[in-house]
Amino acid sequence: MSEALLEVRNLCKSYDEGRIEALRGVDLSIAAGEYVTISGPSGSGKSTLLQLLGGLDTPTSGQVLFRGAALGAAIDLDDYRAHQVGFIFQSFYLLPTLRAIENVQAPMLAVRHDAHNRARRARALLREMGMEHRLYQYPNELSAGERQRVAIARALANAPGILLADEPTGNLDSVNSARIMEMLVGIHKERGMTLIVVTHEDEIARSAPRHIRLRDGLHNDRCEARPES
Amino acid sequence: MASQLSFIGFAWKNLWRRRLRTLLTLCGIAMAIGAFVGLVGFSRSFEHEWLRMYLSSGTDIAVVQQTFLNTSMDESVGVKLKALPTVRQATPMILNLMDLTQDVNALAYGWKADSYEFESLQFISGRRFRDGQPEVILGDLLAGSLNKKPGDTLQIQGSPFTVSGIYHGGSALEAGAVILPLDQMQKLGSLEGKVTAFHVRLKPAPAGESPEQYLKRAQAQIEAALPGLRAVPAAERASNNQLVLLAHAAAWGTSSIALLIGILGIANTMVMSVFERTREIGILRALGWKRGRILLLIQTEAAVLGFSGGILGIAVGWSALRLLSALPQTASIVSASFPLLLLAEALGIAVLAGLVAGAIPAWRGAHLSPVEALRHE
Repeated sequence: MSEALLEVRNLCKSYDEGRIEALRGVDLSIAAGEYVTISGPSGSGKSTLLQLLGGLDTPTSGQVLFRGAALGAAIDLDDYRAHQVGFIFQSFYLLPTLRAIENVQAPMLAVRHDAHNRARRARALLREMGMEHRLYQYPNELSAGERQRVAIARALANAPGILLADEPTGNLDSVNSARIMEMLVGIHKERGMTLIVVTHEDEIARSAPRHIRLRDGLHNDRCEARPES
Repeated sequence: MASQLSFIGFAWKNLWRRRLRTLLTLCGIAMAIGAFVGLVGFSRSFEHEWLRMYLSSGTDIAVVQQTFLNTSMDESVGVKLKALPTVRQATPMILNLMDLTQDVNALAYGWKADSYEFESLQFISGRRFRDGQPEVILGDLLAGSLNKKPGDTLQIQGSPFTVSGIYHGGSALEAGAVILPLDQMQKLGSLEGKVTAFHVRLKPAPAGESPEQYLKRAQAQIEAALPGLRAVPAAERASNNQLVLLAHAAAWGTSSIALLIGILGIANTMVMSVFERTREIGILRALGWKRGRILLLIQTEAAVLGFSGGILGIAVGWSALRLLSALPQTASIVSASFPLLLLAEALGIAVLAGLVAGAIPAWRGAHLSPVEALRHE
């Protein structure tokens, strides 16, 4: 395996003043360009792990290292999210007041891009997602599959190295699910991006070269990420 | 179709999503700024007209007692005043406010028939009044309101006066005023031998002495010769008299209350907006927006509200000033001019009001945890 892009050391996350422990000492290493799926039963902490990998939250203890530097300490979380990570959510989380092409530009407002380049890049990404005919629609005028394609384009806006998808097919029918996963895997291969997908669907979980299954972490003293297959 | 998303455009879209609430908030701040422009514009216009009145008559100094409308200065002071080496002319005057009809009140001046202040008036018809006669002259604005012409009779406090002339004055204060012989004014108020002030024209400043130094020297000379009296430069008399100060205080007091209400309106809108958009703020944080940028977005929205409300408010205030300058009750003290400084102040205050109102909601929005915000229903 090549050098670790992301490394998780003894990661713990608890809520409600320690009464709820979502993660208890997870160790994990993900190489640059890897495609990894994370699955597990509801409440196993898989979404929490993804949030910590994406710098959306900070661990109660332990570390997430990006290229060997600790997130939140050596690396500013806002900068990390803006430049290194693209998020895709189950509920799409598009901004309702913005058209599709404007939604894709929203992450670019967080970094330095001139207005013309922002629009040009957003248009190109939406074209790549097969959405060139829906550039000016608002989210409520799009189908679920179309919304997720806009969300993928948005996740790619700042050309991140890591794509994090939390149940990306959770709100889609089987046809759209297959299409979205095909797109994500295609992006991973074509761009050499690291793709980490949290899913509860076994078929998707097992389709990845590396599948991590979180075991009932809440009931064990030490919940280890265990690569399967 | 526009495809570029700008920061300001994004802020505007956030405001425009709740059109009715935004419009109502705009109305609130517009009324506050309208009140500011109308009231402060009114009081400044009042001050400006005082200054114009002094400047048009060429008065350099007003010799007064401590209070503005106090008519208890001895008329004989004029003899001492005229004897001073810096004084060219000194003329006594009485100033009062009078109800001429149920609807029309006006400033009433008592002048001597030979007062130099007549030089600033242009007679449209008729002639000056004569000392000792029950005659008056009317400013053209007041004559129009009262529908009087030379030869008509005007009742003042139950006494009949003949209108001897109609004039056009150098300021709205004069155009809307009635001027009587000083002795008739004294008789009406049972103030024989008493005056409100002496208006003084100075001799030209000697070579080598600046006008400012000369004015100060003349002031000191008058006050030394007439203990207990004040020699006030015309500009100071215009801005520092009790009527103008009272108008300023009332204008700022009322405007401040209106502005406070406007600020609370914007604050309420921004608090609601941030609460409703908690998840969206979480999305922006997930997309890499820093806290400072979220704060800037919310403050920009508040400032846009303030600025837009300010523009509307200026239109409201300017319309109010135009109306006041046309009404017979207020035309004599308000001109329709609109100073640019007031416009800049109104816009500045409106934007500042927006920023103050948006500060707490912006801070709250900026400090939301991305994960908590994304979970918000």
